[in-house]
Amino acid sequence: MTPLSDDNPAILIRNLVHRYRRADAVDNLSLTVPAGRCYGLFGRNGAGKTTTIKCLLHLLRPTGGEIKVFGLDPARDEVAVKARIGYVPDQVAFYPWMTVRQTLDYCASFRRRWNDETEATLLAEFRLDAAARTSHLSKGQRTQLALMLAICADPDVLILDEPTSGLDPIVRRELIQTVIGAYQDAEPDRRTVFVSTHLIAEFEGIIDEFTIIDRGREVLTLDADAARQQYQKVHARFASDPSGLDLRGLRVLRRHGRELEIMASGDASEILDRLKAYAPEALAAESLTLEEIFISALRPQETAA
Amino acid sequence: MLFQVNFKSGKPVYLQLVDQVRAAVAAGGLRDGETLPGIRPLAVDIRVNRNTVAKAYAELERQGVIETVGGKGCFIRATASPLKKDARRRLLAESIDAAVVHAHHLQIGKAEFLRLSEERFDALEQKRARAATV
Repeated sequence: MTPLSDDNPAILIRNLVHRYRRADAVDNLSLTVPAGRCYGLFGRNGAGKTTTIKCLLHLLRPTGGEIKVFGLDPARDEVAVKARIGYVPDQVAFYPWMTVRQTLDYCASFRRRWNDETEATLLAEFRLDAAARTSHLSKGQRTQLALMLAICADPDVLILDEPTSGLDPIVRRELIQTVIGAYQDAEPDRRTVFVSTHLIAEFEGIIDEFTIIDRGREVLTLDADAARQQYQKVHARFASDPSGLDLRGLRVLRRHGRELEIMASGDASEILDRLKAYAPEALAAESLTLEEIFISALRPQETAA
Repeated sequence: MLFQVNFKSGKPVYLQLVDQVRAAVAAGGLRDGETLPGIRPLAVDIRVNRNTVAKAYAELERQGVIETVGGKGCFIRATASPLKKDARRRLLAESIDAAVVHAHHLQIGKAEFLRLSEERFDALEQKRARAATV
């Protein structure tokens, strides 16, 4: 039997391939999620996020590659792996005839641990009526219930697949903050969050590290703070129309009259120095948000001629 | 203490929190013995990961700016910290550095920068004097 060593990363995916008939949904994807981190899997609809997560849970069999959850193989040690995971799928479903209370008890009966305190806190915080039938819950309440079911088992990894899509914007941010906060309140060094989403702005500040995927392939993996340091926007304004500017190799985001906005994906100071030679009236750099980094990573390179 | 996080500054979020506490302590906005908000409430309030807040608090503790008392929270240790002496100068030096860089971008030389600095000092003093007479 494999020891449950916590030196292992929470999630390790190496060269994962999953093919539906002829199309590759996931194409040679590798990523590592250290324990205790909040890790984002960012991609557009259809990029392969859900397929990756389903492979992690052994709900789909990978065509190739390796997956480990705390060092265990989800195919061989299915029960041990699932015991350590809390999962909220992109489409949540409950037995419609059960009440909220019955649904909580029903799910608790499958788990080794159940945190009654977290359950009581979140029921109160969400103002969910325990006696209400699940068929009478709103979309937001259904997501709240699904998130409660996932975290009350005190799992070591919380896997969320597009948890906020379809919810109104106020509920969205509140929900994520409350749930991830409650989950990581205990044992923060161990408790890991793996969340897939295309609504990235809501996770700014929460995500420690992320991988952007497109068409099943990794496009970019970075620590969030490092990403914001690395990806900057340089804004320059000149005294007159800068038609003589040498912009070779620079990626111009916007240009209007005497103003120019340039993307810096690396060392912004180099671009600042180049522009300074033209004596700009104003020159400043600011970081891109994770959402802007995401959009820019998925847009084909367009550099000025 | 009300924290502000700016994701566009390019500075790691935990460092922003560390610097804000240090600046507040140096400026008297936080006094010896006052508490910082708890990790989870602060994380929820400013919408960041609780680990980010925990990292900031650990760094502040390492620097001797705060002290964590189990079950009671994090307390400012202003008198015990080396902040008052150097830190105020260092904090100001950071702002001046930024202004110097800005001046450089705007093609304003050292002499002009220093002259302008003096002008600003005088302007602020006059403003204060006017406010005092009203």
